Amino acid sequence: MSVLSIKTRIIKNIQDNLNLGSIKRLLHTISNKPVLALYGSSIKSITDKYLNIYTIRNLNEVYSGKYPVAFGSLFLPYELIIGLGLKPFLPEIMGGFTAGLGISGRTIKAASNNWYSSDLCTFHRSAAGACEMDLFPKPSFIVCSNLACDAAGKSFQNFSRKYNIEKNFYFIDVPHDDDGASLSFLSKQLENIFYEVSGKLNKKPDIEKLKKTINCSNDFRKFAIQANNIRKELYDYPQYFNGLNYILPFFGLSGTKETVNLYKIMTGELQEKLLKQDKNKKMKKVLWMHLKPYYRNEIFNILEKNNCRVVFEETSNVFWDELDPDKPFKSLAKKMLSNPLRGNGENRIKAVQQIAALYDIDGIIMFSHWGCRQSNGLSRLIKESFNKKSIPVLVLDGDCVDINNCPAGQIKTRVEGFAEILNSI
Amino acid sequence: MYTCGIDIGSVSTEALILDIDERKDYKILSYAIIKTGSDSKTAAEKSFKMALSEAKLNRNEINYIVATGYGRVIVEFANKNITEITCHASGVTLLFPDIITIIDIGGQDSKVIKIDRTSKKPIDFLMNDKCAAGTGRFLEVMAKTLEINLENFGEIFLSTKEKVDITSTCTVFAESEIVSLIGRGVAKEKIIKGLIYSIADRIISMVSRVGLEAPVCLTGGVAKNSGIASAIEEKLGVKLQIPFEPQITGALGAAYLAGKI
Ligand SMILES: Nc1ncnc2c1ncn2[C@@H]1O[C@H](COP(=O)(O)OP(=O)(O)OP(=O)(O)O)[C@@H](O)[C@H]1O
Ligand code: SF4
Ligand SMILES: [Mg+2]
Repeated sequence: MSVLSIKTRIIKNIQDNLNLGSIKRLLHTISNKPVLALYGSSIKSITDKYLNIYTIRNLNEVYSGKYPVAFGSLFLPYELIIGLGLKPFLPEIMGGFTAGLGISGRTIKAASNNWYSSDLCTFHRSAAGACEMDLFPKPSFIVCSNLACDAAGKSFQNFSRKYNIEKNFYFIDVPHDDDGASLSFLSKQLENIFYEVSGKLNKKPDIEKLKKTINCSNDFRKFAIQANNIRKELYDYPQYFNGLNYILPFFGLSGTKETVNLYKIMTGELQEKLLKQDKNKKMKKVLWMHLKPYYRNEIFNILEKNNCRVVFEETSNVFWDELDPDKPFKSLAKKMLSNPLRGNGENRIKAVQQIAALYDIDGIIMFSHWGCRQSNGLSRLIKESFNKKSIPVLVLDGDCVDINNCPAGQIKTRVEGFAEILNSI
Repeated sequence: MYTCGIDIGSVSTEALILDIDERKDYKILSYAIIKTGSDSKTAAEKSFKMALSEAKLNRNEINYIVATGYGRVIVEFANKNITEITCHASGVTLLFPDIITIIDIGGQDSKVIKIDRTSKKPIDFLMNDKCAAGTGRFLEVMAKTLEINLENFGEIFLSTKEKVDITSTCTVFAESEIVSLIGRGVAKEKIIKGLIYSIADRIISMVSRVGLEAPVCLTGGVAKNSGIASAIEEKLGVKLQIPFEPQITGALGAAYLAGKI
């Protein structure tokens, strides 16, 4: 049985039996070693293989009911959640998964039946629909922040009502400025959550475990930086390699041993590709900003066919300093504050300008995901800042989750047109 | 060398044959414009045959063929596909070498293309978002609702002084808005004037996002609607250059680029 047929069968199974019980059973079955081995056996890239297996195992644990689960928004310091012994579950990322599984049509409809406005970003809408359809594991805690995304606080609060855990809903208020006062304000909040949640779990606060998690996160960071450095020279990638597929480990599972392994494997595989690559081959280097569509789409193949390669993604940027395990809350607060999406747009512009220079970027594709105010609001300034340097920017309007809001023909013309411009320079 | 460009748009398909010499000077030998209809493959084939017969050439005498437009991928006999963005830019700069901004309004797409002053190549572009509001099909639907020939819109626009504003951008809502205006006895001429201004507004907004830089050229079937052209000129404060046949610039560019394969 080829991996494709296993994958197709899994997807079909989920589509045909869309309920919590069968998702649990399915995850349980495919997490069995022999099945997983079979599943992984024909994925060519070892990093991709490890990512797939790790994701399935992780979801199986989360869905198993054996561990306390915390729902969290994308830009939390997950070291804190993992350090508390909670299994993180990221509804926004699951919103992306619904697209990959071909069920987002149904989840989005369920959200709309439950008063979620159609101008809300579909990562949230699809997650909300999945939640209404009872497709998610039951959380014990919900933690979210207003870092970058304002929508999370609101839709996650709805989730807390749905699961009847309003008392276990935590909102982290990330200040606009990055100064001493902000740092202590934020680290105090993280510290409070740590102690309060430990109490609610009837556990003694385990700072040692938190330190271990932070050490793991630092190891992952080191490998991620190495991988990013290799990518400065690399264009010959493992098939289907795309930094945008690594959002879950990069953000949500930073602090696990498996994520360290994943990035170690990635570094090795990319290094090998770098050594073997034909030095004379030149491709146009594209920086991808914001997220990408997670349903099957042709964008990256179109770029490839037109001699363009996404050599870096905004989401792969290691923007934070090494964490200090002896000052866990302060360093996690620092990590949050150093996110370029915090504060005003200047931070983000500065960060992507730096990346563009480091990676010798020829063009930028900024995916303008429907309903994402925090990202789309900046498109004009981003475009202007790069145009000053004669780097073309394509602001690509579309939807990462809802295929019906992203006509393939129009996307193709825009991406090809952009590639033609890059190739003519 | 003989080359052919075929532009398969959502409404019309054009085939154009060029004779290009060693110095890259070109002569248009023939062109054909037909409706795309429901079968774009047949439309491509048919327009190609028509252009061949007018140029008195055989299929095998054509050295290279480039297909462009929405249906570009279905033209199996083409040597290459190039987007309408690059092809329009190429076609327009052949006709008007100094053009910086191109506005193309077709059946379902409107786009604004910015040309680099020195390289004469496109450096930026913008296309309308998903829906067909503000494009040729929108006008066609409105013409049907008003029971007035689309070809007469230009004349009506120029000879009518007053307008009524059409507030809906959605084709369906605009249609019902018009029906109710007619029901209230509003003169159709004023409605047409309002409609044309509303489309011009949408185009102007795209032009300003890309950045208005004269000289500006208007292409696509909608450029044949003199009302639209005047409304855009009035709002931009710039005289528009319009090709002798605004529907063929995509095919012309495609044919010229075929000479570079
Ligand atoms: N003689 C005319 N008078 C007024 N309008 C016209 C005339 N001929 C064509 N049009 C307009 O031009 C539109 C078609 O333009 P065009 O042929 O450039 O579209 P297309 O290239 O097929 O579409 P697209 O580029 O969007 O795929 C029609 O919808 C109609 O509104
Ligand atoms: S895409 Fe934008 S709106 Fe949606 S979850 Fe991400 S940051 Fe929030
Ligand atoms: Mg066209």
